[in-house]
Amino acid sequence: MPDQLLQQLVDGLLIGLMYSLVAIGLTLIWGVMNIVNFAHGEFLMLGMFTSFWLFTLYGIDPIFSIPICFVGMFIMGTLIYRFIVSKVMKGPMLAQLVVTFGVSIFISNLAVFFWTPDFRLLPATILQGTWQVGGITLSVPKVAASVGSIIASVCVLIFMTRTITGKAILATEMDRDAALLMGINTERINSLSFGIGTALVGVAGAFLSTYYYIYPQVGGLFGTIAFCVVALGGFGSIEGAFIAGILVGLAQTLGGFFFDPSYKYAIVFSIYLITIWIRPKGLLGW
Amino acid sequence: MLLIAFPLVISQSVHIHVMILVFMFGMLGVAWNIMGGYAGMFSFGQAAFFGIGAYTSSYLSVAHGVNPWIGLVAGGCAAALVAAAIGYPCSSLRGHYFAIASIAFAEIVRIVFNNWQTVGAAEGLTLSMQNESFANFLFNSSKLPYYYIMLAFLLLSLAVCYFVATSKMGYYFRAIKESHKIAEVMGVNVVLYRLMAIMISAFLSAMAGTFYAQYVLYIDPGSVMVLATSVQIVLISMLGGAGSIMGPVIGAAILIPASEYTRITLGYKGTGVDMLIYGLLITLISMYYPDGVWKLLSKIGGKTRRSVNS
Amino acid sequence: MASRSFVRVLSAALSLLLILVCSVAAQTPPKVIKIGAVYPLTGNIASTGLDCKRGVDLAVDIINGKYDLDLPLAKTAGLPNLGGAKIEIVYADTKGDPRNGMSEAERLITSEKVVAMIGAYQSAVTKTASQITERLKIPYVCSDSSSPTLTDRGYKYFYRVSPHDDIFARDQFQFLKDLEKKTGQKVQTVAVLYENTEFGSQAGKAYKRFAAEFGYKVVADITYSANATDVTSEVSKLIVSKPDVLMHASYITDAILFTKTFKEKGFQPKGILTMAGYIEPGYLDAIKADGNYVIVRSTFALDLGKNKPLVTKVNTLFKKKYGIDMSENAARSFMAPFVVADAINRAKSTDPEAMVKALNETNITGNQVLYPWQGIKFDPQSHQNIYARGTLVQVLNQEYITVWPFDAASKPVVWPFPEWKGRK
Repeated sequence: MPDQLLQQLVDGLLIGLMYSLVAIGLTLIWGVMNIVNFAHGEFLMLGMFTSFWLFTLYGIDPIFSIPICFVGMFIMGTLIYRFIVSKVMKGPMLAQLVVTFGVSIFISNLAVFFWTPDFRLLPATILQGTWQVGGITLSVPKVAASVGSIIASVCVLIFMTRTITGKAILATEMDRDAALLMGINTERINSLSFGIGTALVGVAGAFLSTYYYIYPQVGGLFGTIAFCVVALGGFGSIEGAFIAGILVGLAQTLGGFFFDPSYKYAIVFSIYLITIWIRPKGLLGW
Repeated sequence: MLLIAFPLVISQSVHIHVMILVFMFGMLGVAWNIMGGYAGMFSFGQAAFFGIGAYTSSYLSVAHGVNPWIGLVAGGCAAALVAAAIGYPCSSLRGHYFAIASIAFAEIVRIVFNNWQTVGAAEGLTLSMQNESFANFLFNSSKLPYYYIMLAFLLLSLAVCYFVATSKMGYYFRAIKESHKIAEVMGVNVVLYRLMAIMISAFLSAMAGTFYAQYVLYIDPGSVMVLATSVQIVLISMLGGAGSIMGPVIGAAILIPASEYTRITLGYKGTGVDMLIYGLLITLISMYYPDGVWKLLSKIGGKTRRSVNS
Repeated sequence: MASRSFVRVLSAALSLLLILVCSVAAQTPPKVIKIGAVYPLTGNIASTGLDCKRGVDLAVDIINGKYDLDLPLAKTAGLPNLGGAKIEIVYADTKGDPRNGMSEAERLITSEKVVAMIGAYQSAVTKTASQITERLKIPYVCSDSSSPTLTDRGYKYFYRVSPHDDIFARDQFQFLKDLEKKTGQKVQTVAVLYENTEFGSQAGKAYKRFAAEFGYKVVADITYSANATDVTSEVSKLIVSKPDVLMHASYITDAILFTKTFKEKGFQPKGILTMAGYIEPGYLDAIKADGNYVIVRSTFALDLGKNKPLVTKVNTLFKKKYGIDMSENAARSFMAPFVVADAINRAKSTDPEAMVKALNETNITGNQVLYPWQGIKFDPQSHQNIYARGTLVQVLNQEYITVWPFDAASKPVVWPFPEWKGRK
């Protein structure tokens, strides 16, 4: 079914780019601070809810709420870093893992408390409907999310490699002690990175809200897949996360269609395991 | 000691149930600790071994009438074998990569069991309530036997942990945790000892799984093989103090009652307040006692001993 | 002397009066009868659990108060045979985990001393909760879990009021046959789609079994995870198999995601017949007009009120209390407290064996239930309500309209499924 193959590839690419967008923020935090941010899925959820409430209460379309999401989540990320995460930076790795886990439980239940567990969907926004391109159906919101993902990745890469702050972040990622010796304020870099990482996933949430349902526990599966994507790409590597996201999306869709949909996540996780056996630091990790 | 007398004094089944869960998660935490706290392999997939234990004994019991005590051993062996099979290719993985690999492995196991018709797939397995007896590992009229059996299992796992920690094996584990290279230079067969850690851990976790199956009498992949259980096991061990023998037990003694009692008193309102408290508790403990509560307790213990002596 | 004996007689009379008054006063405050309810009040499926709770709470209001409704015990305040004793529901949160179902049921019985149990919506949780009630010999009346296996167990203390998934699945195939007879619209191929927990896989099995029995060919058999991030593969597979009809057993999250994906990919079968998730109020709230024309199995719909004024009256009460219309979940959970209270009332006691005897003799007539049933009467072996049956509703103009059985329909079914493109 050659025409189906193309459609499946496109579908896989679209979902994959969304995974990439979700994963970029995570790999940044992971690379700089060596923290697995368990609350990442919850930040995605907050981004989705922000977009939802901005639309429902003020009629702001998700496209325009993206910058608001970015700024809002950036502030939240920095605050959470300053008041919670920074306290455990000197502790063992497990403590850092667990602190973000506690934060994730807290945030998702705070959402239940304030917004109830009900499911929300954004009604027709500017980005909706489908395009037919040469026999292939493309969902407009997914395409927009994919474009957003590409733009975000490029922006982050440019920021990391061309700006002084960005290079400082990269330096801290590569060798923390050396960066300190070079006079880089690693505390500030940590805070900045956490903020940017959170902001990025908040933006992912804004995009996701245009076509996925919104509720307090929505971060669960997306978060788990994001961890897989980051590890697959090599933690710390933006390019790695980007490529890995696409690979995971393709694996999920192609595996689900040509093999068996009930095993599609098993296929994704198997690909992760096989890759990691061959290249223990992920595809592009260092 | 106190624990043995406990259920004879407090007869309300709720509290006995909570203690049983504390023991069970304590055991799971101790099992995790052997491979995680001591050997440095932070596994987020313990639920897979727990589930394999539960399924092996339950399937053998339901489909072939095999006695659950035999099933217990069979489950442990099955889990250990699976652990070796997955542990071997993952021998060189460390830190976060190992953790994510364990999640991937556990999810694959869960998905496979969810689709595997022979063991009930998504419908799970229901164990019979008939013929209660010690031999059948089934007690209907009272929770007490379950309480004492789980306590015994916990003590057994603590004994295993103590033995491992104070033996040469434990020494090798700690070397491996520090650095594979250093361990190799010392002449330690890293791959072999890693496998041993994982297999012991898996065997003990599977025992807990069989207990669970005999206690609840119904298992399905969604209740025994979920990521949430694996994460809870890590939380307990970490909060109690990874790398110490009693750490996970302390962690279980804090977290399990916390989650159970908040759900009982607050959950029915549906507002999520119970989980808010739980999340807050976890966050605060890891912020202020990052080495685990056990370290704190032993520090206090040390101070009192010193002041007594002086 | 006369006055002294008079005083003696008077004081004796007064003390007698006092004793009489006290003993009467001691008897008059009506007892409270506690019934346990286990539901997922937090967690992934909390919105459904809370919905069920609404139905139960309204039922308790009606039993405890005086209402001019044709429901058991509505017209009297409390249980008349027990001196007006009132019902109190003690809730416990299961978080959707079977382990909590077991421990909470046990706690409710041993600590809270409830005399009966209701709940738990999710069949896996009802399984473990009812194992405990069977062990502890407490009656359990379930009106909201639909797995057939619950009544296959031959339990003595477990009763089910509502239809189970075998009945629902069979209904959907019967509908196809009736449709063919009535309109000549023929269906030959069926795609079966179901979520991968206990509920979905049981329903999937039932679908496949009845497809064979009724002579339909199953061209796709797909299972998936209810909160998947994406279902494009599943829908693509459905499209490729070109079924006449889709049969879908889902929860609410997957119902939403699939409908969106159906629209995105233009999946166009002649009909979409579904279970559970599509009739949750959250579904239409979220998906709005895109949910139109889906057909769902049901026991309850507001338009039944046309032939049964009781439905409209109850919905008015529901709306007054909660501000929203009664949903099918709330309506199903609504019935259990009545069955329990009715049994206790006839038994004149809360002794479990007396309750079981009374439950076995339950014979609530059709005019006293919210659903188009002949009534409530339990099969002596399985304790399944022999009169429980389903209807099919179709979403028309974002409302659930009864379309089958045809003689109970308030509007004709819209068939085939209108094209996505042409809709407003």
